[in-house]
Amino acid sequence: MEEKTKLMCGKCGVEMVPAPTQFSYLGHVFRTEVLRCPSCGQVFIPESLARGRMAEVETILEDK
Amino acid sequence: MEKRIRDIKDRCLEKEDPFCASACPFRLDVREFIGRMQRGAFSSAFRLFSNTVGFPAIVAALCDQPCRNVCPRGRMDAPISLNLLEKAALAYAANTGPNSYNLPPKQGRIAVIGAGISGLACALRLASKKYAVDVYERSGRVGGALWDVLDSAVFLEDIRLQFSNEEYGLFLDHPVSGLDPLLEKYDGVYIATGSGGDSFGLGREAGPDEGIPLATNLPGVFLGGSLTGATLMEALSQGLKASLCIEDFLKTGEMRSAKKNNPTRMRLAPGAIVFTHAVLPASGEQYSKEEAAAEASRCIRCRCDACIRHCGLMSYFKKFPGRIAEEVQITVTPGTLDGDGTVATRLIATCSQCGLCGEVCPENIDMGDFLRAGHQAMHEKGAMPWAFHEFWLRDMAFANSSRASFSAPPPSGEKCTSVFFPGCQLGASDPRYVSESFRFLLGLEPGTGLTIGCCGAPALWAGDMALFRKVCEPLLENWRQAGCPRMILACPTCLEMFSRYLPEIDCVLLYDVLAGAGRPSPERGDGTVVSVFDPCAARNRETSQQAVRSLLREAGFSLAALPYEGKIAQCCSYGGQINIAAPKYSRWLAEKRSNDGEHPYIVYCSNCRDVFLQAGKPVRHILDVFFGLNGESAGAPTFDERRKRREKLKEDLVRKYWPELEEPGKEGAMDSRNVLTIPPDVREKMNGDRLLEEDALAVIEQCEASGCRVLDPATGHCLGYGEIGYMTQWVEYALSSEGYVLFNTYAHRMKIELE
Repeated sequence: MEEKTKLMCGKCGVEMVPAPTQFSYLGHVFRTEVLRCPSCGQVFIPESLARGRMAEVETILEDK
Repeated sequence: MEKRIRDIKDRCLEKEDPFCASACPFRLDVREFIGRMQRGAFSSAFRLFSNTVGFPAIVAALCDQPCRNVCPRGRMDAPISLNLLEKAALAYAANTGPNSYNLPPKQGRIAVIGAGISGLACALRLASKKYAVDVYERSGRVGGALWDVLDSAVFLEDIRLQFSNEEYGLFLDHPVSGLDPLLEKYDGVYIATGSGGDSFGLGREAGPDEGIPLATNLPGVFLGGSLTGATLMEALSQGLKASLCIEDFLKTGEMRSAKKNNPTRMRLAPGAIVFTHAVLPASGEQYSKEEAAAEASRCIRCRCDACIRHCGLMSYFKKFPGRIAEEVQITVTPGTLDGDGTVATRLIATCSQCGLCGEVCPENIDMGDFLRAGHQAMHEKGAMPWAFHEFWLRDMAFANSSRASFSAPPPSGEKCTSVFFPGCQLGASDPRYVSESFRFLLGLEPGTGLTIGCCGAPALWAGDMALFRKVCEPLLENWRQAGCPRMILACPTCLEMFSRYLPEIDCVLLYDVLAGAGRPSPERGDGTVVSVFDPCAARNRETSQQAVRSLLREAGFSLAALPYEGKIAQCCSYGGQINIAAPKYSRWLAEKRSNDGEHPYIVYCSNCRDVFLQAGKPVRHILDVFFGLNGESAGAPTFDERRKRREKLKEDLVRKYWPELEEPGKEGAMDSRNVLTIPPDVREKMNGDRLLEEDALAVIEQCEASGCRVLDPATGHCLGYGEIGYMTQWVEYALSSEGYVLFNTYAHRMKIELE
């Protein structure tokens, strides 16, 4: 389930591709590229991202 | 909040001078001086000493050591020989000459009347700041009263040396008969005419709030030294201070006497001093370098630090109450509109609020109570990250939902005289703790009813007072409806919450009741040594502390005391539910508490039990002993098990005692009929991440229902997410014949904002 594996949207059957996505936490809003379905917009966040960079940013925002 | 912060800063004794410095006329920074001597930095120690006293050789020779009378070592072994250390600093410093400063001349002419040690000290300081100074002496020599007490070679050399870089006017054989001519010529005057000297008709008594030198009623004229009855060392120190008073006058035009030396309010923590032998100089007179360093090492550099010694939070983060109060202040009321500088948000959520700091503080400053107020303020502003407490608030909601909570009258139908309230976690730790206790209580008192639920502590710890009241109020209402019975509580935290917020309810801890019942425990300790780990919430419950100990003694156990117990019990790390905000600290704390005693612990708080089980410390609940449960040590239940056990407990108790209350099919644990298969490694990981099986299943079902999921063709697994409360939880799963298999699950706090 890492990024390099080809993933398909379960709804549209098309390949997930990196696309800008909006996130929010504690009143802060930001955009970054993650895998998305080009057709329906379904998002995928791999565990490495959730436990890595996302967790780091979450901690920074909590301590801001 | 502002008032509390000021109060903490005013009352905290951390910044108070040590006893020695407070007694020293020069207020020598003994802590720093000793620190330099300890590491053999004699030159640097000498420089500090010399800068403080002005004439180091004279002071080293004449210092009468008022510090010896107040040194707390005096009550233990022998006071620190500070004078010998001063002499050692003087002897072993590489350079004892004064520093030379290339400063431009300053405006301002000063006359000093009297070339005794006080006048010379004033003249030295002003001359080194490059003021124009003239000293008038009626005799033909400098030194004044020093001639009576010290070898002239010593003090004349020190005076010569200290003035060697300075220019000043010295007028010997020049008596001053009146001040008027001097006032015409000079901007400031220091009268230091010595014992019995002329004060020119000016008052020489200090007012109640004044120190010496005194500001006289003549502008620019100050008075001090032996003239005011000071000893030689005091006179010297007053001369040094006179230079500051005069400079203050020259700069501001204000006539201010020196500040009065207020005695220190310092208090030492008990046990701060360990016996050592005083170091005596082998030569009989002077320390060798090694002896000096050894004597300096006996000094504990007194500081009021009971809080930081005993409190896990303050010692881990190395922060005294004053610093914490400041950080909380700028966090709760940040100086900028966007809230930058909220430095203490996590710290506020890291305190267990156990009250130990207030117990050990000589001023009883309870930082836990203060941080709880800070937490509430942050919650009210919406500035406390939800993630720190959401898991526990959801757990509280579960504990108070109809899945786990219920309230029932005595099964016998008798009038309700007592209600057993085991709290929310006792049944999660082991349902038998609740069922066996209730069975026993019914045997003692058939009029015992049962209420299972949460007291609201998680809401209080999260700073959410509105939610806390929402939990408390129904408890009070239920109690009233039951006819105001006595409440028998099993959790010391519940007891603390009840006595503080629901004081009208008459409460007793279960263990007091068990000890009072006089029934033997089925277990025989046969002299096994155990230590009672008192929960922090029971620090003021001496009766309960003794009840648990008597139960253990009666069961044949031997008790080994812990360094922290009874009144100074420490939190196991559960209090405040800090482990999400501060996982590393929380683990460190649990580990530290586990190592406080070598013997197995007996606890009477189920949270202590589960924390120690998790940390691998052999531990049993007193109910294990009383009812003969769980042998040596049980395993720590997972968060999923904790939920299931509470549901099962309710189901079993209702079926046994109140079958008429059974509600078949209503609000089951898992609404779904799908079975979620979870491999053991995934289950363990979920427990570590506080992710629940029922949430994972809910997310899977949501993904399946909406079709919003991703497929991984390489594994054939589906991947999807759902929001559980504020948290976003991901699941990797596959369909199975019975439902689903969960291969992985993880979560993040950021919300995905779908446009």
